[in-house]
Amino acid sequence: MNYPQPLEDLINEFMKYPGIGRKTAERYALYTVNKFDIAAAHDFASTIIAAKEKIIQCPICGHLTETNPCSICADTNRNQTIILIVESPKDVFTIEKSGKYHGLYHVLNGNLSPLNGIGPEELNLKTLWSRVQNEIIKEVIIATSATQEGEATAMYIKRVLKDIDLVVSRIAYGVPVGANLEYTDDLTLNLAIENRHKF
Amino acid sequence: MKIKTVALTNFRNYRKQIVTLGQGLNFIIGSNGEGKTNFLEALYVLSLVKSYKAADRDLILNGNGPSRIVATLETSTKTIELAVAFSETGKAASFNRQAVDRLSDYIGIMNVVLFTPEDMTLVKGGPADRRYFIDVVLGQVDKDYLYDLTQFKHALKQRNELLKQMQDKKINDLVVLEVITEQMADYGSKVIIKRKAFIEQLSKNASEMYRYLTSKDDTMVVKYAPSITNDYRQELKAKIATDLSSGTTNYGPHRDDIEWVLAGQTAKFYASQGEQRLIVLSVCMALCNYYAEIKSDRPIFLLDDVFSELDAEKQNRLIQYLLKSESQAIITATSLIEIADIYKQQAKIYHVFKGSIREEQQHGQS
Repeated sequence: MNYPQPLEDLINEFMKYPGIGRKTAERYALYTVNKFDIAAAHDFASTIIAAKEKIIQCPICGHLTETNPCSICADTNRNQTIILIVESPKDVFTIEKSGKYHGLYHVLNGNLSPLNGIGPEELNLKTLWSRVQNEIIKEVIIATSATQEGEATAMYIKRVLKDIDLVVSRIAYGVPVGANLEYTDDLTLNLAIENRHKF
Repeated sequence: MKIKTVALTNFRNYRKQIVTLGQGLNFIIGSNGEGKTNFLEALYVLSLVKSYKAADRDLILNGNGPSRIVATLETSTKTIELAVAFSETGKAASFNRQAVDRLSDYIGIMNVVLFTPEDMTLVKGGPADRRYFIDVVLGQVDKDYLYDLTQFKHALKQRNELLKQMQDKKINDLVVLEVITEQMADYGSKVIIKRKAFIEQLSKNASEMYRYLTSKDDTMVVKYAPSITNDYRQELKAKIATDLSSGTTNYGPHRDDIEWVLAGQTAKFYASQGEQRLIVLSVCMALCNYYAEIKSDRPIFLLDDVFSELDAEKQNRLIQYLLKSESQAIITATSLIEIADIYKQQAKIYHVFKGSIREEQQHGQS
């Protein structure tokens, strides 16, 4: 037997989320209908709309923000000479939580991947090019993932920036802190040895 | 490492079967369809936790619950127990009765080298069959190779997609193409270097084996026929116009081949059926030596229907070699009519009939 149409519609909405398949979407939809009272359902719906209406992409760095510009770009106490380039807003939150970095960010919203139809046009690069024209910027750190796509994106940025007078660096690969050497996979270990630094 | 005993439960056409194997040659004799190959397959599955010819669910004897293969093996220092089980819900392996969390930790404890009649595609088949063969062997002993190959293939897919999009004028950014080309060339160059070194070594070993098996001076060599002979990166740059106009990558490891050359001629076109089989067998023996060197443990030979198309002399030479190399070998055949008595006396012989194996009592001196 099919689900009643409104329930089926809800299932289809949940399935739009990444990592949610048909089965999970069914569970969520049934839970919503069974366990939410009408007030909770209204709350949920208006929370989604509020988040969507209030959150914008920072026009400078591309990070998700409620203010324009975002609190990081607006913070004059931060080091204004250095930009860390990441794939997604989630990476900004992760790095901010670690608490060590006090420079600026730039969020690409993806990686170069022809297979997924993502070229330079689809990435938040235009604003990056204009940001680095400002002479105050001395260094950009590329922190895209250590995957084929992440590496391609890093190489692309390096290539475009090659004639501009600034330091382009790439985050290092290495052994996780607090981990035993024997549990590190061979490839990471090889890279860690290759990228060793003077001690 | 050598197998001492092996017990099968609900595996293919075996309901319950325990076999004690000899440390040297073991002949499994039977007519077609009785279960000879199934027994070899079980030993292969015990080693690699997957079959070489069927999906996991096909390994279960229908409707009788999970299938299990349990074996005791002897190394130079100790006895170990290996077990694998397949059920409707999945598969599991255990080492000395301890369940193994990651199959990759289990695979490699017991090493086998398999010959099946299907391996003839190594000579008769297309380049893709031969590339697959190299990639499987090298991937097993060299994790870096596997990584570089996977990355290469991924970058290749990206590049081909990009070339297609550029052909359709959807994208016109040469820098992206340059970046992905550079990446692909870096990984591809590493793949080419390792393939070259491996094939050189394989050729040396295999041609020695071929000479031994045939006792003739005919030379058999394995030749790497790479798609690219110069620097890969430069070659790609030079030929970018071809790639752009065809919308795909025309040069690289994905177009490599290997060639078997017998007495100066391409074996695929000039060698006889028997000669082709001897080539594949030589490669098989050479592989065993290769693994033995790297893993300091001689793999177990699993030879399926190895005698057909070989004359009596070659059959006996093969047996002589296996005895001399002190390998453990499990060999299936429909009959041993051509094998000399002196060799048969040094082997264990088993008869298979309708999913049941029984050892032949040795007659004669003993």
